[in-house]
Amino acid sequence: MSAQETIRSHRLDRMAALAGAGARVGMNYLKHYGRQALSGHADPEQLQERNANEVFRTFSELKGGPLKLAQMLSIDQSLLPPAYAKQFAQAQYSAPPLSYPLVVRTFRRELGRDPKEIFDSFETTASHAASIGQVHKASKGGRTFAVKVQYPGVAESLRSDLNIVKPIALRILGLRERDVAEYFKEVETRLLEETDYEKELQSAMRLSAACSSHANLRFPEYHPEFSTKRVLTMEWLNGETFDVFADGPAPQSLRNAIGQALWDFYAHQIHRLRIFHADPHPGNFLISGKNLCVLDFGCTKSINEDFYAKQFAFLDPSLGSNPPRLAAAMESLAILLPTDTPADRARLMALCKKSLELLARPFRTGHFDFGDPAFMSAIYELGEENRKNDTLRGMQGQRGSADTIYLNRTFFGLYSLLSRLRAHIDTPLPEGLVFSD
Amino acid sequence: MENHNRIVAAYTKHLQHHGTPPKTVHALCEELALTEREFFQEFASLDSVESAIWRDWIAGLCEAVANGAEWNEFSARHRYLAFLFAFAEASLDKRSLLLLRFGHLAPVASPHYLKGFEACFKTFVAGIVSHGISTGEIADRGPLQSLYPSILHTHFRAVIAFLLKDESQRFERTDAFIEKSVAFAFDLLRTQAFDSAFDLARFLAPSAWGKTA
Repeated sequence: MSAQETIRSHRLDRMAALAGAGARVGMNYLKHYGRQALSGHADPEQLQERNANEVFRTFSELKGGPLKLAQMLSIDQSLLPPAYAKQFAQAQYSAPPLSYPLVVRTFRRELGRDPKEIFDSFETTASHAASIGQVHKASKGGRTFAVKVQYPGVAESLRSDLNIVKPIALRILGLRERDVAEYFKEVETRLLEETDYEKELQSAMRLSAACSSHANLRFPEYHPEFSTKRVLTMEWLNGETFDVFADGPAPQSLRNAIGQALWDFYAHQIHRLRIFHADPHPGNFLISGKNLCVLDFGCTKSINEDFYAKQFAFLDPSLGSNPPRLAAAMESLAILLPTDTPADRARLMALCKKSLELLARPFRTGHFDFGDPAFMSAIYELGEENRKNDTLRGMQGQRGSADTIYLNRTFFGLYSLLSRLRAHIDTPLPEGLVFSD
Repeated sequence: MENHNRIVAAYTKHLQHHGTPPKTVHALCEELALTEREFFQEFASLDSVESAIWRDWIAGLCEAVANGAEWNEFSARHRYLAFLFAFAEASLDKRSLLLLRFGHLAPVASPHYLKGFEACFKTFVAGIVSHGISTGEIADRGPLQSLYPSILHTHFRAVIAFLLKDESQRFERTDAFIEKSVAFAFDLLRTQAFDSAFDLARFLAPSAWGKTA
């Protein structure tokens, strides 16, 4: 994408841009139906692809909140038709740069000195964009650094951004507000947290220290001395982007090693540390030699013992054949409510059993081949089915815990990444998880 | 020179404390134990003290920015941005004074004690503009481009107005305003839009005066 010199920020400006995308999507539909009328057939996937391009272009021009939203939606691919998801996944890699004088300004304000006074060299153009900032390459004393600089006023404009974007995004994507209300709330919370680089620094240092002994896993070294609320400095790591690696000619043994490192990294965080990197997005990883590098800890989630016990009780292999136990597990997380009719109850339990059978499958077998495309497509189908299931939507009451959303998103992201890698790995049940009889 | 600085300091202090300049030269001299002769060797009037305060401030700022390590590598847009960000930073030391003198002004009118400040700014940006024209960053529009410094001055006053009204934390919104408005202004200076607007205005102006061509 060409460097844009403007960042749209004014509410009206953003409205206009989004309305433009709506109009272009509309035009594509017109062309689609026109072609259908002329030739008698048209390719719906081609249409979706073209629409995805338009929506994506608009979102990426907006930067900040909307870009992040696009990324969040792209990771939960079951929310989106595949063509949209693919376009949104690119959002990580392309966005307009900030001018160098503003970077200098931010440095002076945050660290009291110019970037070129602090570092021996500092590249004036950003090497790549992060959703709420951009990354500059710098060096000092023979070491290379990645310096992430945040856009000014991002935190302030987030809320208004999302409020504008929400209805339009829902319209363009064909989603219903109440289906994703929790989702948007989550985006807002996470986003506000992500604007605090001090918090990210702490999470990153804590998690990378706690996982430092893992094989095939690498973290950049963080530099608190060059970091503040708006500037985050870490070691520069060279490597292939996740997408390039996954789609490239890497041998199966390496894919397995990287996949195993990814699995173990998440298993350790969730089952041991109870705090985890909650954004398993391809853009947050690099592959360097035999190592998986984890780059971005802006989005972390911690869970308490109580929720952990309730949630992972679902891994109990006996649930499938023991309906009262399944019901008890579902009640404990308020997925089943006391007010449910027996018919609703049965429907929900059947659905839960089906989801469990699928989602817990890797844990059941102890090792799992994520290279089997049938697994991910079964997950997509399940998501699609749930989305189209009107009785399910019609059910009243707030169900489940907000914590589940983050956890599900993480597992979904993890499974997606592993299937992109086509990795065949060991997937044991977490140690120390005991199911009473 | 020492008297010069003492007079400026006392004048500034008085302005900040009372919200108004000292009433007479005599009062100021008494405060500083100076003779009027000594005062008038430095300044012609109280107004010229104030004028010097603003002019010297911005002249110092321009010089500091232009001596920055990367100035020569900067494009015109980056030079102008660098100036405005330096101004925003420096304004933190003078915010109360700025509020007093710029807070209630419409961005177009200038009191006479700000003429020097204005002239200094315009000379400075004229240099930036000619750099931009030499690199093709700004369109060469012949005699019309003598207007550029005035246009940028209007923009500068808008930045000051924004800065003084900004209540965001550490005035971050001003940074964003500067970044975005400069991008917009330079887009205009570069493209045909400006010419088309001028052409339209030239066409409409006679009929607005009732003299259809």
